[in-house]
Amino acid sequence: MNEAPTATIHADVEEVLLTEEQIQARVAELGIQLTADYAGRDPVLISVLKGSIVFLADLVRGMELSLSIDIMEVSSYGAATESSGQVRILKDLSNAIEGRHVIVVEDIIDTGLTLNYLLRYLREKQPASLTICCLLDKPARRLTEIPIDYIGFTIPDRFVVGYGLDYGERYRNLPYVGVLRPSVYGLDSPES
Amino acid sequence: MADLLSETSPPRFAHDSEAELARVLDFYQVAWRYEPDVFPITWSPSGAVVESFAPDFYLPELDLYVELTTLRQSLVRKKNRKLRLLRQLYPEVRIKLLYMRDFRALMVKYGRVDFLIEMSGSNVHPNGNGNGHANGNGRVNGSAQAVHR
Repeated sequence: MNEAPTATIHADVEEVLLTEEQIQARVAELGIQLTADYAGRDPVLISVLKGSIVFLADLVRGMELSLSIDIMEVSSYGAATESSGQVRILKDLSNAIEGRHVIVVEDIIDTGLTLNYLLRYLREKQPASLTICCLLDKPARRLTEIPIDYIGFTIPDRFVVGYGLDYGERYRNLPYVGVLRPSVYGLDSPES
Repeated sequence: MADLLSETSPPRFAHDSEAELARVLDFYQVAWRYEPDVFPITWSPSGAVVESFAPDFYLPELDLYVELTTLRQSLVRKKNRKLRLLRQLYPEVRIKLLYMRDFRALMVKYGRVDFLIEMSGSNVHPNGNGNGHANGNGRVNGSAQAVHR
């Protein structure tokens, strides 16, 4: 009999960075803030697959106003480099955003390269406004200057998983954000 | 979106990690130039440039220089000193130093641990430490001026 999958994924986490309670409390605060800021503006929240869907699901349930959601998926470096040399939209918007108040919902912003590309793409669609709401901000790794309007937590430069964030498509279902053991991704330590 | 294909040939990178970072930038459609500028940082009493610093990349759309060092953390003191001097002498210059640990984290994020393992067995090319010498008292241009997108 195999080891229970959840036990395995918990064991791969060396430290819980943000507990489930901390995340839920902060996401609720963000929901209240967005509710106040977007009252009467009927915003559309755009989530970028796959990492941000858990955050989006909790965030919108804390927003007490009329809103809509849309989903995009963008290829990432590494997995896509064999087939294409450039970032691509894998799943485009389902509805036009021209004249709409858009909130881009991101799980984590580190280098900002994906978001930089995405924002250029979305600006061409001529929304009325475009703001960013991210759960995790990792500024130490930033290459592009991106003003982030709503930040859940600023975190140190460590490799984190959980609450939607993955490594090799796993760990997204952890209810907390944790630091993955380097041995899981084949390194003895971050410095080795 | 702009046309991204460059008609210029890629530069000869000093290290495999630089070539990989260029591929990442290309992928995300961020224009870059390789070692386009050399910044003198120390001078002799007669005014001759003694030391200079040539950051690996310049990202023109972001107005940002990026220096990538693959030295182990314990060996980066010399590079940190150069960077500190550059920031003192050219405060208007925006530069980001990516340490080996940053690059490794980037590769882990992109599922490129195999590249890290490959890289650990490769050699640094002898002529590319990213720290050239200049002959003037101001910022001078290097040889690789092509913008790659």
